[in-house]
Amino acid sequence: MGSVRIEHLNKVFNGNTALEDVNLEIREGEFFALLGPSGCGKTTTMRCVAGFETPTSGKIYIGDKDVSNIPANQRNCGMVFQSYALFPHLSVFENVAYSLNIRRFYQGGMGTKIATLAHLLNSKLGKLDRETEKKVRDSLDFVELGHLADRLPGQLSGGQQQRVALARALVMEPAVLLMDEPLSNLDKKLRNVMRVTIRQIQQKVGITTIFVTHDQEEAMSMADRVAVMHGGKLVQVDTPTALYSNPVSRFVADFVGSSNILQGSVKETNDVGETLIEIGGNRLLRSSFPAKKKDVEVIIRPESVRLFTGDATDSTDNILDGTIELSTYLGPTIRYDVKVGDLQFEVDTIFEAGNPLLEPGTKVKLEIDPSRVVII
Amino acid sequence: MKKRLSLRFDGFDVLKWIIYLFFFVFLIIPLFSILLVSFTGEPVNLFGSLTNEKILSSTLKKLSNVSVEAYTSIFTGGSGYFEALVNSLKLGVGVALLVTIVVLPIAYAFARTKMPFKPFFAAICTIPLIMPTFISSYAFVLMFGKTGWVNHIYQALGGEGVLFDVQSMMGIVLVQVFFFFPYALWPMVAAFKICDVTLEEASQNLGAKSWYTFMRVTLPLAMPGIISSMLLIFTVSFSDFGTPIILAPKDLNLIVVEAYREIAGFFNWAGSAVLTIIMLIVAAFFFWLQRMVIKGKEYGTISGKPTKQKLNDHKGAVSVLTAYTALVMLVPLLAVGSVFLSSVATTWGHHALPDGYTLDHYKTIFSTSGKNIMNSMLLAGGTLVISVIISTFVSYFVVRRGASGLDFVSSIPLIVPGIALGIALIQTFNTAPLHLTGTALLLIIAYTIRRMPYMIRSTMSSMMAIRKDIEEAAVSLGASSLVAAITVIGPLMLPGIAAGAILVFVTVIKEASISILLAPTDWAPMSLAVFQNLLRGEYYTACAMAILIIVIVVILQALAKKITKDQLY
Ligand SMILES: Nc1ncnc2c1ncn2[C@@H]1O[C@H](COP(=O)(O)OP(=O)(O)O)[C@@H](O)[C@H]1O
Ligand SMILES: [Mg+2]
Repeated sequence: MGSVRIEHLNKVFNGNTALEDVNLEIREGEFFALLGPSGCGKTTTMRCVAGFETPTSGKIYIGDKDVSNIPANQRNCGMVFQSYALFPHLSVFENVAYSLNIRRFYQGGMGTKIATLAHLLNSKLGKLDRETEKKVRDSLDFVELGHLADRLPGQLSGGQQQRVALARALVMEPAVLLMDEPLSNLDKKLRNVMRVTIRQIQQKVGITTIFVTHDQEEAMSMADRVAVMHGGKLVQVDTPTALYSNPVSRFVADFVGSSNILQGSVKETNDVGETLIEIGGNRLLRSSFPAKKKDVEVIIRPESVRLFTGDATDSTDNILDGTIELSTYLGPTIRYDVKVGDLQFEVDTIFEAGNPLLEPGTKVKLEIDPSRVVII
Repeated sequence: MKKRLSLRFDGFDVLKWIIYLFFFVFLIIPLFSILLVSFTGEPVNLFGSLTNEKILSSTLKKLSNVSVEAYTSIFTGGSGYFEALVNSLKLGVGVALLVTIVVLPIAYAFARTKMPFKPFFAAICTIPLIMPTFISSYAFVLMFGKTGWVNHIYQALGGEGVLFDVQSMMGIVLVQVFFFFPYALWPMVAAFKICDVTLEEASQNLGAKSWYTFMRVTLPLAMPGIISSMLLIFTVSFSDFGTPIILAPKDLNLIVVEAYREIAGFFNWAGSAVLTIIMLIVAAFFFWLQRMVIKGKEYGTISGKPTKQKLNDHKGAVSVLTAYTALVMLVPLLAVGSVFLSSVATTWGHHALPDGYTLDHYKTIFSTSGKNIMNSMLLAGGTLVISVIISTFVSYFVVRRGASGLDFVSSIPLIVPGIALGIALIQTFNTAPLHLTGTALLLIIAYTIRRMPYMIRSTMSSMMAIRKDIEEAAVSLGASSLVAAITVIGPLMLPGIAAGAILVFVTVIKEASISILLAPTDWAPMSLAVFQNLLRGEYYTACAMAILIIVIVVILQALAKKITKDQLY
């Protein structure tokens, strides 16, 4: 087991910069997600850790060891590929046994070497030792596939193949588990199941895991911490909740969920440390975040806004007047598009049985908690 | 960014350089040295020059005497080389044109009509590919020779003398047309199949007659495919050795035969070198032309939409095409039949049918030529092993590590006619330090190199079917790339390798030019035995041996086909 440290990692592919000064520290036992749009460099980062790409510059540590010059096969990184990359000619059992056989091949004496190689070439040749056999059985049982040990990968469903790939990577007791978009080939329902499965297995084993995905929901629901990448650079590394409630940039705010993003200018800072911002049409908003410059962007999540009609409150504290333009029924929530002067707001409210949808044209008030008005 | 010279060699780098070295020593140097010989007029010993000062100085002296005399003398006449070149070019062009004309209707019938018996005709089409050309040529002698059965029938019907003289340019052309047409047939069928049918339909919707549509739309669309197979046939015909060596009369000079005579008869290095270089240049030029024609068009077959084509079922057209196809297919069929009849005949030639039947010839070949059969198996086996190893690793390097240099080097043999390769190898390895001429090893190496591009094509396609991440998975599980290649890539490629290997085995068994030129007496393979039997007038045993070759080839090819079909995954 080990932590992973990436220092000043740069990667250039024939003149195209894929990674620019990436610095990361992944703690031991942590489930760490790399999140970002396609082409932002997630896979490249992970392949650098695995040793499949040679960094143009920078260092990578696994545990305390600098692995930058260690070949991929000696880095002890378990890997789960997007396509699973199971060996199609080997049974589930032999797939999982592969790394143990390879280890025996390298570590054994001449006789063991020959026997193991023969077994690798044709699983009918050469017997596995008890210990290997048991380890493989255990790890297949662990992913609940013990009964399918003799099948070929082609005879399994996507979810089962996924679990074989996991078992195959875990049986070698790797220092780090690397997964590149492992769920993208599954249908939505199975994806949700596998999210839980993978997370549970990771927790049980307690293995440091790097999980690459472009799906924010996946990253946010599974990971201890998430690194958001954009154009080869790290933008923000934080826990999912922090990432959501306190994005450092408009890009992050947008990427980890839908947001109202408004232009504003800072008026003053009051005595309790709150910032007063003027947004479109001389309206004032209070925020508990400090502002570093005058012209700022203000981010408000749709569900951070409380929407009510008439005079349900006489408080004038951080309240905007608006008119509903569109109501969309989204199942458990209702999304209202509200016009406030020249500004456009999206507001999500919980759908409560018995309460009718508000019609377009209804005058409403929007109340926003200052602690949820994020200033960038 | 500065590139540091990496001194970390893994097992793979070593392997790659060994393969480069193999091609360098056994292909590049021999071709280069034959080029030098064509200018010096005397044999040069390049390997000797590296190890021995005396040889080096003599080589340098020879090199100071270079002249283009050998080339200019071609045109000033006397040697007959110019005539030989012209005759060979005429032969190639004639055969290419004739094959195209003969095959066009058959290709159209296969691709676009509801012709019956397609699988049967397709099976017959493999006959020419499994018969060595010198056996096909002898089959033609059995049919159209002075005492051939066709001429007996011809005379019985009231004809005078012979139908035509089979020992002539005409005979050579006919054999090549009927035995090379399958090389053109399948590419042309493909060309007709991929034509954009919507254009044809548009033409017909506009009221054009089918015949007009065929001439003005279908044919032009299929043209690149047709021209490309025409060029291919030219090269095959130009480089073919088996047919002319049996059928060319004394007064007909052809470049392959001339080169063979110069080296095997007179040890005329200068002459054979010049002829070799000329052959190479012509073959390379036409190969290049063919590549230009199909450039960028190959992908049409893959990316093109598989449109459902309406097959022509016009009764009259289909019956005419079927009859015509059957007629063309009949010739190779009768040829095999003739060889078979001859192999079981006591004597044959007095009448249309043999005088009696016997199995003695088969007994003879098993008792006296058992060694040739054994030799063929050993030589083919040795070639197979070397080919499999080299081509597997070459495809690995080319597909996985982008080693385009190896790709290029290993496809050079495509343009080297068998005779040319043989002469180059004999010249280069004729003396110490690498005195290999006359050894089984050089024979095996020659077979290997000659078959390499085809073997690589087969291993390369199975390599490309294996995703890169399968290999990376093995590496992440602890295997070095070499161990990953052996334990994962190797087994996955096995069906492709096996099929390719069997085909290598097959070609070695039927290979004529290399065997005739390079095989030492102790190591004479079956094909050489057939050839020598024919020269010695032991026609019946030659035929029995030929049938044996055909049977072995058929069995092995069926096996290769089955393996490719039974791919497990
Ligand atoms: N082997 C390669 N050669 C050249 N460019 C590459 C290679 N691999 C990745 N890239 C480029 O690097 C960038 C990052 O790619 P990648 O890490 O695969 O992105 P992601 O996994 O986030 O979608 C992309 O612009 C991609 O085109
Ligand atoms: Mg990716």
